[in-house]
Amino acid sequence: MLVIENLVKKYGRFTAVDGLSLEIGPGHCYGFVGPNGAGKTTTMKIVAGLLRPTAGKVRVAGIDVVENPREAKAKIGYMPDFFGVYDNLKVSEYMEFYCGLYGVEYRKRAVITDQLLELVNLTDKKDAYVDTLSRGMKQRLCLARSLIHDPDLLILDEPASGLDPRARIDMKEILKELRNMGKTILISSHILPELSEMCTSIGIIEKGKMVITGTVAEIVRKISQKRTLKIKVLGDTEPAVRLLQEQVTVGSITVGNEHIEVEFEGDNNQMADILRSLVKGGIPVISFGEMEGSLENIFMQVTGGAAALENQSGN
Amino acid sequence: MKINPVIEKELRIKMRGWRSPALLAVYLAILGLVIFFGFFENIFDIGYSFRTFNPRTAYNVYNALASFQLVLLTLIVPAVTAGAISGERERQTLDLMLCTNFSPLSIIIGKIAVSIAQIMLLIVASMPILGTVFLFGGVRITDLLLLIAYYLATALMVASIGIFFSTLFKKTSVANILTYLTLMFLHFGTLVLFAFYVRVTMDPVNFTRPTFNEALAFLFANPMFGFSYLLEGPSGGGTILSLFTMVLSYGAGNAPVVPPWVANMIFDVVVAAVLIPLSARLLRRP
Ligand SMILES: Nc1ncnc2c1ncn2[C@@H]1O[C@H](COP(=O)(O)OP(=O)(O)O)[C@@H](O)[C@H]1O
Ligand SMILES: [Mg+2]
Repeated sequence: MLVIENLVKKYGRFTAVDGLSLEIGPGHCYGFVGPNGAGKTTTMKIVAGLLRPTAGKVRVAGIDVVENPREAKAKIGYMPDFFGVYDNLKVSEYMEFYCGLYGVEYRKRAVITDQLLELVNLTDKKDAYVDTLSRGMKQRLCLARSLIHDPDLLILDEPASGLDPRARIDMKEILKELRNMGKTILISSHILPELSEMCTSIGIIEKGKMVITGTVAEIVRKISQKRTLKIKVLGDTEPAVRLLQEQVTVGSITVGNEHIEVEFEGDNNQMADILRSLVKGGIPVISFGEMEGSLENIFMQVTGGAAALENQSGN
Repeated sequence: MKINPVIEKELRIKMRGWRSPALLAVYLAILGLVIFFGFFENIFDIGYSFRTFNPRTAYNVYNALASFQLVLLTLIVPAVTAGAISGERERQTLDLMLCTNFSPLSIIIGKIAVSIAQIMLLIVASMPILGTVFLFGGVRITDLLLLIAYYLATALMVASIGIFFSTLFKKTSVANILTYLTLMFLHFGTLVLFAFYVRVTMDPVNFTRPTFNEALAFLFANPMFGFSYLLEGPSGGGTILSLFTMVLSYGAGNAPVVPPWVANMIFDVVVAAVLIPLSARLLRRP
């Protein structure tokens, strides 16, 4: 349904999206995860036809979004991360305005509006002014708006952000319903557990690059694998290496010019144990830490701890 | 047939509440006062016998009102259009419109139509008032229709400039400033350039004056020039044209190749025909 190939987006000299590729099959729900500033919104705006990519291809149901934007937009429902509403406009009028933009005939507008408001539980707000709605209600109204033309692909940019827990649950219920309706969904979040439950696949993006992608189960397996430690000692590395080899949690050891790189499998307590035994063994350690940009690091940012993710997938 | 949804929505928002009717009422009240004092003065001077009523007074009131409306138009239309696109961007509603398969050209046309409809509402609503002046003679119905056509063309040109800057710049304030600056250039900059030309080319001994066509070459884009000609004809003598007629030389064979108001309306349409598609292009790919 959606194919992204080697997508690049540069703002001046800054590269926001850097050779990103992904593929989502029809009816699938793909969770797009990454810390703030990773390039999720940029990617989604390109797919929605709102930004021109610097390089790369995006096809929706076989239609190139750059070459045939109007045909592609007819297949896409887009909900931005931030959006506004108009003053002096009622909910039903708001829906009818977007019906008009999507070219829905007059006689069908009222029916479509009623159906969608029902879907997002806003039927009783039909005559309220849109600017008086709560944040959660606006979010749901915007979702209803993105469904007017019955799109095959839904692009939802952080639909749960800024919502209170109650509103989050409401939103989740609606998204489940959309999945059951057979919509293909690309949904983003900077928190992984929020998506792991409802998505068939997950992609993690950092600094514009796809770090890892796969089903939730696959990712949990990969993440509980190795972490890399970077250790710097004064003088001879030999005694340090010997001590490290005795640790059960340590895998292969690489001695570089400046650092010793150590593959390590375990949690933070076990990491502290290693440092303790090095110091006890009289090794002059001057730096000890986890390698920057390692998978675990990114995961800590997007999951708030791997344990949270494992609990989620275990449910 | 479907009405452009942008027009439908904007009119719905703008006509809702008390502001639009209040604005219209205040506007008509001001026009009424202008007329009342225009005639009151006349009656006071000559006495209240209609036998001695001077049609030239009615004519002057008509000219003053018509000019007032042109000024109003050039002040209001930029204020409405310079925020048309950038305002949607600032309110974060622009992307919601652009992610639909509605064409950017139709968005631009809808916004321009709304701005022209707004100003024309004021102008058409005041036509009965102008009509009372018209009743006292001196003004033909064709003059009135031509006047409306001239307003429409000017509004179209001003709206196109406003919308162009509104799409080009992210901020409404910047678009506003540039629109007003452009209009100031058209109104006064062209005059300054022409005055400069007159100074440079004038023969100090014979005191030759520029011909009408020379003036037209500088002032075809100036809405005031065409307007004053439209109101008062080549002989002028009235309120605004005197500004121009003072410096122009007349005589056989010195008629303008094309009446200034025609030249200006052509200019208006050309500006719109260039800027509207250009704005749509800008909107299509940010
Ligand atoms: N219009 C822009 N001009 C310059 N830089 C931008 C622009 N939009 C986004 N960026 C930068 O691109 C990066 C990716 O942003 P974004 O796609 O919004 O990330 P995310 O949605 O994952 O938080 C950020 O570093 C952001 O500062
Ligand atoms: Mg974002």
